[in-house]
Amino acid sequence: MTETMPPSLKRGVGRILRARGVWAVPALGAAFLLGGCEGDRIQSTLHPASEAAAKIAWLWWVMCGAFTAVFLLVMVLLLLGVYRRPSGEGTGPPLGGTRFVILGGIAMPTVILLGLLIASLETTVALRLPEKQTLTVEVIGHRWWWEVRYPDQNIVTANEIQIPTGVPVRLVLKSADVIHSFWVPRLNGKMDMIPGHTNTFWIAAEKPGEYRGQCAEYCGLQHAKMAFYVVALPPEAFRAWVAERQTPRPAPEAFLPGQEVFMQAGCKNCHTVRGTAAVGRVGPDLTHLGSRISLGAGEIPNTPGHLGGWIGNSQRIKPGNLMPRSFLAPEELHALVRYLEAPK
Amino acid sequence: MSSTAAPPEPADYAGDLEEFNKTWAGPKGFFKWFATIDNGPIGFGFMFFSVVFFLLAGLMALLMRVQLAVSENTFLSPEVYNQLFTMHGSTMMYLFIVPFLEGLIMILLPPMLGTRDMAFPNTSSFGMWTFLSGGLMFYMSFALGDVPTIGWFAYPPLSGPEYTGLGTSFWLLGLGMAEIAGILSGLEIVVSCLKIRAPGMSLARMPLFAWTILVTGVMIVAAFTTLLTATMMLELDHEIGTQFFDPNHGGKPLLWQHLFWFFGHPEVYIMFIPATGFISSIVPVFAKRPLVAHTYVIIAIVLMGFLSFGLWVHHMFATGIPWLSMSFFTAASLMIAIASGIQVFAWIATLWGTRPAMKTPMLWVMGFLFIFVLGGLTGVMVAIVPFDWQVHDTFFLVAHFHYVLIGGVLFPCLAALYYWMPKLNGRMLSERMGKWSFWTTFIGFNVAFFPMHMMGLLGMPRRVYTYPSSLGLDGYNMVATVGAFLLALGFLLTVANVIVSARKGERAGADPWGGDTLEWAISSPLPGPMFYQIPPVYSRHPSWETDESKRQDERIERASRATANKPETWRGILMVDVLNGLPQSIQPLSKGGYAPSFAALMITVASMGALLKLYLVGAICILLALVSIIVWLWPHEAYLKKIRESAPALEEESGLPVFTTGEKSIPWWGIVGQISTVSLMFSVLFYSYFYLRLYSPTWPQGGIPRPDLLMPGVAYGLLAASALPQLWARRAFKRGEEWQVSGGLIGTLLLGAAFIWALYAYLGGLEFTHRTNAYGSMFYLIQWLMSGLVGVGMLLNLGLHYRYRRVPEDREHFMPVQMQVTAMFWYFLAVLGIAVYGVVFLSPYV
Repeated sequence: MTETMPPSLKRGVGRILRARGVWAVPALGAAFLLGGCEGDRIQSTLHPASEAAAKIAWLWWVMCGAFTAVFLLVMVLLLLGVYRRPSGEGTGPPLGGTRFVILGGIAMPTVILLGLLIASLETTVALRLPEKQTLTVEVIGHRWWWEVRYPDQNIVTANEIQIPTGVPVRLVLKSADVIHSFWVPRLNGKMDMIPGHTNTFWIAAEKPGEYRGQCAEYCGLQHAKMAFYVVALPPEAFRAWVAERQTPRPAPEAFLPGQEVFMQAGCKNCHTVRGTAAVGRVGPDLTHLGSRISLGAGEIPNTPGHLGGWIGNSQRIKPGNLMPRSFLAPEELHALVRYLEAPK
Repeated sequence: MSSTAAPPEPADYAGDLEEFNKTWAGPKGFFKWFATIDNGPIGFGFMFFSVVFFLLAGLMALLMRVQLAVSENTFLSPEVYNQLFTMHGSTMMYLFIVPFLEGLIMILLPPMLGTRDMAFPNTSSFGMWTFLSGGLMFYMSFALGDVPTIGWFAYPPLSGPEYTGLGTSFWLLGLGMAEIAGILSGLEIVVSCLKIRAPGMSLARMPLFAWTILVTGVMIVAAFTTLLTATMMLELDHEIGTQFFDPNHGGKPLLWQHLFWFFGHPEVYIMFIPATGFISSIVPVFAKRPLVAHTYVIIAIVLMGFLSFGLWVHHMFATGIPWLSMSFFTAASLMIAIASGIQVFAWIATLWGTRPAMKTPMLWVMGFLFIFVLGGLTGVMVAIVPFDWQVHDTFFLVAHFHYVLIGGVLFPCLAALYYWMPKLNGRMLSERMGKWSFWTTFIGFNVAFFPMHMMGLLGMPRRVYTYPSSLGLDGYNMVATVGAFLLALGFLLTVANVIVSARKGERAGADPWGGDTLEWAISSPLPGPMFYQIPPVYSRHPSWETDESKRQDERIERASRATANKPETWRGILMVDVLNGLPQSIQPLSKGGYAPSFAALMITVASMGALLKLYLVGAICILLALVSIIVWLWPHEAYLKKIRESAPALEEESGLPVFTTGEKSIPWWGIVGQISTVSLMFSVLFYSYFYLRLYSPTWPQGGIPRPDLLMPGVAYGLLAASALPQLWARRAFKRGEEWQVSGGLIGTLLLGAAFIWALYAYLGGLEFTHRTNAYGSMFYLIQWLMSGLVGVGMLLNLGLHYRYRRVPEDREHFMPVQMQVTAMFWYFLAVLGIAVYGVVFLSPYV
């Protein structure tokens, strides 16, 4: 039976089986908290990759510990109260009824909550946008993808945010249609993206890597499939990335048939490819599509095969997205995919 | 501790029992359901239909859990999943918990307070039918094939006209109806708790349950009125093109969030506070002693109700509001945790060492404590701003609020069901089945919802129809799904228990648990006329009170004796002083009829007609609705005649007035309730007005010039001036100067009509409309509502004038209070007019 169990459950059950007696309860908790390995935790608030996320995770562990103690205390008192045989003198709780209520119901929570309030304020202040930012990125929520603009560098991309490691990056969050919410759990909390309203937020990553993020405010049909990646690069690599993006190269001759398909099949009405006549802004900018991790806002890996499938009928992969089916001949499709995936 | 207040022996002071029974007997036949206004059947209607909605919403939850059991599942399409979570949430929040509680309250409150019915029986009936119509309208969207996918919170712009269709319009309208039902029950509950208790039941002697209900009632009125106003604005955005929430035309999506959560946060406590009332009723009875720290618990409840209105922003921590104001809301949220702490420790202290019998109600109470303490603690966690930034809108939240709503509200409801079932149908629920149901539910619940905390922490957002396997959440989701089915089985066992026990259950006596409150002093099931004699009350635990020597207050005894099988020919109840509970008057309740249910039905059909663009149907039905409301509010002359005939003898015996005015009369409380509701609604509109102004670069928006002062000044001046003839009429009425009364009322009517004419003459000349931008929408909405209210006030004046001329024999009896409430409403309109003039016309110049 254990073969059919999902891995995290199996590990959890294993842990419980190995535990004995009084340790069953904390072990159950631990199984739940630690179930799964580091590799599975691409979007976990408990596996922080930045100082900000680490601060919040620390707050969680403190609260988790303190409140487990409070919970156990209340349950022990309840069970003692209900099942203990009354002793000789009277049946009141220790210290007398009213005093018991004042101590347990007022004094204890006040002390704990005051401490918590201080910790909360401290963390809130620590999480404010740092004074010094090196880079501003504008992220605009669309149904159901992310437009990413670097106004100072004049770079436009989609569903992927490249940042340098070690420095706070200022984010300007907007929405083109309904309310979305920007959330990369391993880097920071979340911030809403509200139409007609601009929010500022920030992220920073300590180590290079890819950090998955996802829309956290329900935004309609494909809210579940509105993901993106933050790609943290070492500072030199980031500078190189910027430089590469800023020097558009016309597509080599070999890809021109694909470019023609792009222009004629209607792709250009919705998409932009810099340096060409395609300046549509309904869908993502496709200039550097080849270098991206995923297609369809985090939905499928970016390979020529997947791209062909997406162009052919993206409605099967992500029903309801705004991209219509295409009816290209196989060789046209092939040329188009080659053109889009080509380094430009 | 056994019951002492047995039904009275027929004594020489008692009235004719047969006549009395006939007066209180409900209507007969199939159509009785539409004609009845008795708290019993109305409460049953609320509970029955809410449980039907509950089962539907539960089924939807199971479908969603199947879809989420494994990653990348295709059991449901995204469209259907989004429809299901929208309908699941909104059904549970709007159509199940609050109506279920209202039903239970309606049945239990009058016997607990020692009276014979709720304060406004017609309103109960209207409320029940509006709630049912609202629910059907919610579900109309299935018939229309356009089920909303906007979530129970309906955030614009996603819920606005650009992204949704007819189904959402129906949903909003149904929501509006359910809110109206809620507001009316809220008013009724408050007035019942404050005024129609047994003689001698001072506030200090009022059962704790009634205290929780009183606080809840006030909260319902405040919170639901806010939501009703917001819903109306969003519905107008849909139907007539206003721009309240459209960011492209000066509207603000965040305004909806503020208004919604000003309702939405208290809503949680509106459900939770009555639940604590159930617990505080059951715990002392099983512990066989009064609640420890009773006063502290009352303070905690009032504090909780009050604070819950200062917390709404804690649902908006991620919207980018200043961190200092967020910290304020964190502090307020933490204070509310103390209010919960007091109650939890009071319950433990009460049970301490009493070795209570672990019967089913007590089991649900224990389960409640386990789950609620956990849910409360995670509630404190999400009030911590930085932590909320992570878990907001994730499954952690889903876990948290299900712990609070199922553990904290539904478990107490089930405890209450097992505890009070004898009062509902005279039989006990099966203990054995109850225990099975409890353990299945308890285990199933925790298996279903505990893993969701982890899913949230590991990055699973809410309201997603699927998730990638790379998140590593398959295991947790599968466990949760299995738990959900176990939970459903547990609930079904109780449903089965209720059905089986209704036929085969063991018959319960009047008092199977040894209860302390008055409902245990009368038979099970609750009898038709609730109390043959309204009992005198000298204790907080009247059914435990054995010390006869306390029974000595002559006013209380006299009032109680005077109600023995009396009044015989009309439904009479005692009104008492709010604070000390001394009897003040005997007041008639309406005798019932089809008007309230018909009005609710017509309003429903009329609004559906309007949405489907069948304007003729809409117009006819709205007219019929108006007529039936007039019929309902119109004093029933034959009934009044009966009251006039028997009043002198009754007044003589009881020493209390029957025809009276002011706070000793029910209509006075009715109009005070209406005035409060309308004031709240205008406060919400004014708040919205200034909110829009605060966040608009220019005001008025879009180059509209500042409003003219003269013409509207004349209109609102006329309205203010119309208070004078009203005052004149009222004075003349007291002196009995017939022609001056007529003159005053007609003068009021003429000035009211002049106001409406002047206002619309001015509006007709304006360059902008309600479609221009959010400013225009706000501007027109306030004017429309104002003129509508003046129309209502004019109808009241017309009715009064008609009765004054045609029924002169009533001038000394019921008519004084009719004159009083008409005048109060009109003065209120004059003052409200001045406020509107200040806000809409003067404030843009500041």
